[in-house]
Amino acid sequence: MEIFFTGIALLVIGGLLTCLFKETIKFKILALFSCIASILLIISAILPSKPFYFQNPIFGNVGVYNDSLSSFFIIIISIITMLSSIYSNGYMEYLAKNKKITAHCFFYTLLTAAMLMVVTVQNAFFFLIMWEIMSLSSFFLVIFEDDKKEVLSAGIKYLIYMHISVVFIISAFVLMSIKSGSYDFSTFKSVFVSHPYLKDIIFILSFVGFGIKAGFFPMHNWLPEAHPAAPSHVSAVMSAVMIKTGIYGILKVLTFIDMPTPFITYTVLFISVLTAVYGIIYAITQKDIKKLLAYSSVENIGIIGLAISLIMFGKLYHSNLVITLATFGCFMHILNHSVFKCLLFMGVGSIYRQTHTKNIEQLGGLIKKMPYTAVFFLFAGVAICAFPPLNGFISEFLIYGSMFSVLKLPLTSLSFISIVLAIASLALVGTLVILAMTKIYSVAFLGNPRSDYSKNAEKDVPKSMLIPMGILAILTFVISILSPFGEYIIPLNLYADYNQDAIFRVSVILLIITMIVSSFLIFIIIMCLIKRIVIGKSKQYKTWGCGYNKSNSSIQYTASSYVYPFSSILTPIFKKVYEVKKPKGIFPQNAYYNSEIQDVEEAYLINPIIKYDEKILTKFERLQDGNIQHYILYGLIFLILMLIGAAIC
Amino acid sequence: MIIKIVKMLLLLLMPFIMLGIIKKTKAFWSGRKGISIFQPIYDFSKLLKKEPVYSETTSFIFKLAPSIILTSAIFSGFFVPIIGIEFLINIDFSFVIFAYILGIGKFFALLSAMDTGSSFEGMGASREACFTTLVEPGFFIITASLCAMNHINTFESFRQFVTDLPLITKICVIVLAITALFIMILIECSRIPTDDPATHLELTMIHEVMILDNSGCDLAFIMWASGIKMLIISTLIASLIIPAVIPQYLTILLYILILIIISVIIGTIESGMARLRMSHVYEFVFVMVAIALIILALVTMKVFGT
Repeated sequence: MEIFFTGIALLVIGGLLTCLFKETIKFKILALFSCIASILLIISAILPSKPFYFQNPIFGNVGVYNDSLSSFFIIIISIITMLSSIYSNGYMEYLAKNKKITAHCFFYTLLTAAMLMVVTVQNAFFFLIMWEIMSLSSFFLVIFEDDKKEVLSAGIKYLIYMHISVVFIISAFVLMSIKSGSYDFSTFKSVFVSHPYLKDIIFILSFVGFGIKAGFFPMHNWLPEAHPAAPSHVSAVMSAVMIKTGIYGILKVLTFIDMPTPFITYTVLFISVLTAVYGIIYAITQKDIKKLLAYSSVENIGIIGLAISLIMFGKLYHSNLVITLATFGCFMHILNHSVFKCLLFMGVGSIYRQTHTKNIEQLGGLIKKMPYTAVFFLFAGVAICAFPPLNGFISEFLIYGSMFSVLKLPLTSLSFISIVLAIASLALVGTLVILAMTKIYSVAFLGNPRSDYSKNAEKDVPKSMLIPMGILAILTFVISILSPFGEYIIPLNLYADYNQDAIFRVSVILLIITMIVSSFLIFIIIMCLIKRIVIGKSKQYKTWGCGYNKSNSSIQYTASSYVYPFSSILTPIFKKVYEVKKPKGIFPQNAYYNSEIQDVEEAYLINPIIKYDEKILTKFERLQDGNIQHYILYGLIFLILMLIGAAIC
Repeated sequence: MIIKIVKMLLLLLMPFIMLGIIKKTKAFWSGRKGISIFQPIYDFSKLLKKEPVYSETTSFIFKLAPSIILTSAIFSGFFVPIIGIEFLINIDFSFVIFAYILGIGKFFALLSAMDTGSSFEGMGASREACFTTLVEPGFFIITASLCAMNHINTFESFRQFVTDLPLITKICVIVLAITALFIMILIECSRIPTDDPATHLELTMIHEVMILDNSGCDLAFIMWASGIKMLIISTLIASLIIPAVIPQYLTILLYILILIIISVIIGTIESGMARLRMSHVYEFVFVMVAIALIILALVTMKVFGT
């Protein structure tokens, strides 16, 4: 663990050191330290290491070590934070005028370090401390542009959601530690052996807690607010790895529980499918490109959750094949989503840097001005749509595979129907992702510029931004090709012992798949060559406009009209907010029309609760009268009540 | 070996013949003599020789897309029973690869349509994307039900009805699945009543309008690809009908016969009715999903019912 701690120390020192340097090179220092630290951390994750223990007088034995689950997460976190820190060099150039960059750099490293500690520390109490540091440092990163009102309100919303989440996590951990008598994770397993009835309550508590962090429906609302507010490299880190710590938590609790109950399994399946469908439906209708990506993260978390529920199905039916396929798919999707979502956020950040707008309707024709960004974005788009030959396909294939393998088990009719409907939902989600991605790509990059914003974008972003994007784009392909060797970094035997046969079988299937996929790629290349030979010379002319050739960019299909046929089907479940100023008088001026789609869950579930809360809480306003003597009195009353309570118990 | 070559030729050339037969049927019903059934092949070779015209708005995606669309169509043809490659068909969950390889063609078709910056092509793309999103889940429900029924995780589950279910259930499932897949042909290959391939008004088209700016070799590739797609879904229908136990040459003969029948039916439908109003097309698409759900219900009842 020495290498690991050196890496962590380097990160934090690097963050602190930035205050010594000039504004212009702060991010360079950050990137340098982040790179060195990440390389060390990856080495520490790959090499076998000695666990590190220390005794804490109150919380007992505190272990910091990386088991197979932690190592996987360390690798992802290191790679993504490293690339994002390089990316921040170019991105913040434009954003960071007259801002407190030092604090930003420090919190960035702190967030990285906290995430790494979250996935390695094996003691409930210290886990929670690290969890809190992670939430707070990411809060400060989100509110970087704190002079904007919507950024601050998004940040505060995020903070509140995180603290609701931590309440649930604390309750779950405290319940377990009371029963086991220790805060050490290794003792938690025994709780469920002696008290199996606790499985449901503890799992649901931690699923809610970690699920808020991960962004499961119906507690996903912070994602579409916080991601657009944060600078792009921060949204990339948050969406690619930070929300995955929530998934880590769920997976960790699942290792404690060992054998899930049917109740848990169906709950997770249902919530995950709902999350995936809900997320992608809202992704399609968004106009803000970062909001679109945030909703798409919600959808991907749903898919990961689906894989987790399939692991549980495998456990319920004692099928090693299903467990292995689902575990492989789950971890593969975590990895893949980190890679392509990070790339997408970086691409969107590049668009924002060059055009200064996040509104998709204002963009267009960027492929000619930003060719490299466009190509990298295409990689991410193809990957997230799960098309061969890129990485997204492998994980979706594995998840489909595990669902179809579940069908072969001796199921009940309920489980049969729910699995088949889950398959259909995954297919629906898959096609809706195509709709969302073709929308964002074709409206932002293709066609003609729709406004001055995109007309004014002159050239592509600097190299410091292109290189991380390029690396990620290559990774999408490399991961897909190397997937048969996934067993070396993915903890496949975490949920099933003695599953060597199943692992072998899955690896063989994947090997065949990668061969098919690469031959598909070769076929495409051959076809392009054939076309080249056949085609000879070609002519350039205007786009067909029914015989008129003075067309302009405003005749193009917009993003909203592109998704209209689909969104019109779903009108009953959307809450549309209109902002209309009609033209009036003989010489009408300044008419406009704006429609926005609001999150229906937020409008009808979260907001009423908040309103109700407000009603009750305002009754206590009288207590806050500004008189310090009264406050001391309250403190005293509280202490006395606590003493009485302690005496009774 | 000969069989393999014949299969490959069927996959590559039969789409043209099917299109020819559809046109011939339409001519027959309207009392004309009509063109030769080989006319689509002549059209294709003529298009290959023509010089393509590219819009000034387009980027490399527009030039890349036709090759990808065609490759994805041909490649997904390798995964379907009867004309596919044995090895590829028998890989576990190969229909997932099949669906996603077909999907990448659609993805690039949508992008290339939007690349021209034309209002017509955007319209076609948005309609096509919407219909696909609704068809795909239905297709997966059918596949999953058939897989569960036959305990096979490949497309072979379309062919081997080995289970000891009552005959009447089997026939019901087969008939329903054929109906659903036939609707899928009409939607995915843009035939009447979802789309009219012979219309002259851009506003009413779906697939045709997406390729308005494609010309020459590009157009030839895309036409061929959409023909192959029709052949592939028809092959799925054929594999539901043809028993797996009969000798290969007979399978091929029966298969060609079924393709001809399907083409004649499509031609007859196109002569007999007009395109549905755009808002009614959704209802038509939902019919397919509904049939898929009925199949699921039937299989659930029979496999798990008392």
